[in-house]
Amino acid sequence: MRRVDLIKRIIKIACAVCVLAGIVVGSILGTKGDFLDSLLKGTLIGLIPAAIYAIYSLIHNGIINHKKDKERKARSAVKATAPKVVLPEGTKPEEIDPSLFAKSGNEDLHDQAFETKPVSYLMDCVKRFAKNKASIVAAAIIAVIALYAIIVPMASPRAYVNKIEYPTGFRDDHFSYVLPYNQMFAGSGFWDGTKKENKSETDYIIAINDDSNHNPVVQFYEKVVTKVGAGTSTSYKIRRDTYAVGAQLVKLNQAGYDKLVSYNDSLPDDKKMMRPIVDSQKYISEYKVELENEMASKPDTDLTPAIISDIVDKLTSYYNQNSNVWFKMTATKKNGTHSSNTFRPVLSNDKDLNSVESIYMKDSSDNYVYFENHGGEYTVRVDYFDYFSYKNGFTPYYFFGSNSSGQDIFLRLAQGTRFSLLLGIGISAINLIIGLVWGAVSGYYGGTVDLVMERVTDIISTIPSLIILTICSIQFTNNAALKAALGDGIVVLAFLVAFVYNGWIGVAGTTRMQFYRFKGQEYVLASRSLGAKDTRLIFRHILPNAIGTLVTSTVLMIPGVIFGESSLSYLGIINFSTSGLVSIGSLLSEGQTAGLQYNPHVLLFPCLIISLLEISFNLFGNGLRDAFNTTLKGSD
Amino acid sequence: MSKFKQTLNYILKRLALMVLTFVVIFFICFILVRLLPTTVDSGMKDPEIFYKTMVSQGRMKQVVDQYGKVTYVTTPVFEQLWIFLKGLFTPGNPYPWGLSYKIEWLNSPIDVLTKRLPSTVLINIYSMLISIPCGIGLGIFMALKKNKWQDHVLSVLVMLFISVPSFVYAFLMQYLFSYVWQILPSMTESSSVGWFSWAMIKSMILPVLSMCFGSIAGFARYTRAELTEVLTSDFMLLARTKGLTRAQATVRHAFRNSLVPIFPMILGEIISVLSGSLIIENIFSINGVGALYLQSIQMRDYDVFQFVSMFYITIGLFGTLVVDVSYGIVDPRIRMGGGK
Repeated sequence: MRRVDLIKRIIKIACAVCVLAGIVVGSILGTKGDFLDSLLKGTLIGLIPAAIYAIYSLIHNGIINHKKDKERKARSAVKATAPKVVLPEGTKPEEIDPSLFAKSGNEDLHDQAFETKPVSYLMDCVKRFAKNKASIVAAAIIAVIALYAIIVPMASPRAYVNKIEYPTGFRDDHFSYVLPYNQMFAGSGFWDGTKKENKSETDYIIAINDDSNHNPVVQFYEKVVTKVGAGTSTSYKIRRDTYAVGAQLVKLNQAGYDKLVSYNDSLPDDKKMMRPIVDSQKYISEYKVELENEMASKPDTDLTPAIISDIVDKLTSYYNQNSNVWFKMTATKKNGTHSSNTFRPVLSNDKDLNSVESIYMKDSSDNYVYFENHGGEYTVRVDYFDYFSYKNGFTPYYFFGSNSSGQDIFLRLAQGTRFSLLLGIGISAINLIIGLVWGAVSGYYGGTVDLVMERVTDIISTIPSLIILTICSIQFTNNAALKAALGDGIVVLAFLVAFVYNGWIGVAGTTRMQFYRFKGQEYVLASRSLGAKDTRLIFRHILPNAIGTLVTSTVLMIPGVIFGESSLSYLGIINFSTSGLVSIGSLLSEGQTAGLQYNPHVLLFPCLIISLLEISFNLFGNGLRDAFNTTLKGSD
Repeated sequence: MSKFKQTLNYILKRLALMVLTFVVIFFICFILVRLLPTTVDSGMKDPEIFYKTMVSQGRMKQVVDQYGKVTYVTTPVFEQLWIFLKGLFTPGNPYPWGLSYKIEWLNSPIDVLTKRLPSTVLINIYSMLISIPCGIGLGIFMALKKNKWQDHVLSVLVMLFISVPSFVYAFLMQYLFSYVWQILPSMTESSSVGWFSWAMIKSMILPVLSMCFGSIAGFARYTRAELTEVLTSDFMLLARTKGLTRAQATVRHAFRNSLVPIFPMILGEIISVLSGSLIIENIFSINGVGALYLQSIQMRDYDVFQFVSMFYITIGLFGTLVVDVSYGIVDPRIRMGGGK
């Protein structure tokens, strides 16, 4: 074996070992926590060397060409030939020594029986397909994506939450727009749910004084002081953990409260979940008195009763919205005027940013209060990250991050891919059937029938499906009977009509061409003269010839449908989200509302999946086309 | 029959067929659009004026019931079609194509569309000016370097750019250039800064780039395929034996011949300059024809929707006609009309 081949084989084996090792390590790690998550992670990591090798060999050998292989084969074929007999120049035929030649084979010549097995049409296609590395890789990628789309919605714990509490799937508003998190990268600054941010001084003080178990500031880079007009503004460059959402207020009934307290008591001291209630009302009333005193004592102040009540109202709602703030806040003052829109923490020592003044609620014996009871409904302040794990039984880490309402993008993308793939395959199948029948009739009968049918397809193909889609979706949603019968599926129906409406024309054209090619051939004539009917000629004799082209064009239609759906959903022309369905397109439009500037991860993963799908389906389709093309037989 | 006469005959025949197709499509679209429910909704500026214009255009009839209550009933579709056709051929009719009620209150759809044309046309022309030379150049390079590593790398890239949806690289470029590095604006300027001012051109770089990547890849693939086919044909061997250098033979013989199917493609591109891309115009908030189409769908401005639809259909029909005719003009070997 040549050295290069040996190295190649070793690399291949190494890749396979890597994939296996990834799967094994992933599943071992996964026994501790989220099994599926780790398994997938391990597999993906293991796939990396294999992917690198695949890309390398793709570029090295070309996508379609096997020129080098051919050259190598030709070279080895030359070597294998027998030594030449060189005759001296001018030798006459009679002078040649007969002993130089040997008779080949037996005296009698017979036809030999075939030693090789006959290759069926399908086997031939499979062989040719297997030679095309790019489409094999593409088929593997499609298979992985399909597995992802099937397994994740079945295995993810987030798919099995209480349907009454979460009618449209699991969500948690506190964890909106958290960044992708992967345990393997924890602390690396990449894919670990952290984000580099510039924080104002107020936000920075609130972040470093967070009283929950999870510190929002992962890393402090530098303090930036910029000149703004006459004064300066200070900001802090930090790396923030998007999962550290701080302490939040939670409302519970009696039973839930008892359970929480007993669970909290079982925790070690540094992991306690419950935090003291913040007594903002008491502080605000004190603050109000303070402001009123200032108004009375200082003649040059800008405070009026109206401004004071405005500040008090705004501060109250500030404390209600930010339950992680447990210290005194005051209205900011600029050049002697109070602002009721921005607040900053009160520091007992101006130099020390940690010297905030606590306003925890205390009872008469000076102990912290951990709950408020209003008519049997308990309000507790808990570390929300830990509470989430306690309540749901799984950690709030999101492999692909979350969207605006705190839904898992990893799960939703799987659901969306599943729906988009189903839609693509379904529509392609319908188009195949309609196109087949139409093209067969038009191609087989020809003449006037063909002419009329061609004009009809001309007209249909010229009206853009966008017009049909718009008209259908408006008409269908206004149709009370249809809406009652179909419910939420009505958008899907409109989409189906619009994509089937002119999607079959390509298939019909191909079928028609094939029929024109084959219907005049002798074997068809022979069959007809033996008394075969039209249906038999069409379905048994002509159609099987066209099956390869048709399968290819159907497969190539799938990415088209997926692309069409995603761009139409992105533009908002069709809206699956109201009917509780998820597609890749609706995820893209979620990414649009999330904003590319601030939350690029919402858009990133759907874009990645759709790009991968488009590339792989195109490569796969091209591979199929070559495989079904019998004229390529023996060309390489 | 002379060649010229034959060509003219063919073009006329195709034109007549095109008009016929257009009329049929127009009837279908008209009926489908007019069947949509016309109601006053919250977006309407003045319902009273809306009803009045609808009645004056013959699209609705005022009905007063026995209690004196006034309601409006839409006229039957075919009657509307007849009234519309009469209006279309009446000289001096200010609004033959109806009125816009949502996008621009009581303005003719023709005006609404012409206002949006410049930005679309500009962006398309820029992208065409970049993509045609780049694409063809790349294709020639790939064909000349066939089966070498340059060809393999470029083939992979071309395959990627053809497969990946254009909005994906539009997002990518917008994110990198305008949000991470902040060197280009993420949105196009409004027309008030002037069509050819530096600010406008700078803001058009990203949409133009994201539009031309796909077509560069398309042109490159097509040119490569055509040129490799021509380069292997017998007359190229003759050209070389005749004493031409490789460059001469490639430029004068191979390239010219490979242009035969590419030139109609370019013509098709030139005609489609008028129609804007829905998704790119949406991403970079270009106030163009594509955006108008989308707006008319979202706001349900039916008259504008109908007019823009017919505009797109006309461009499509005209494009195919020009492409078909140009085949015969570019290559005299192709006979027009497909006679015997």
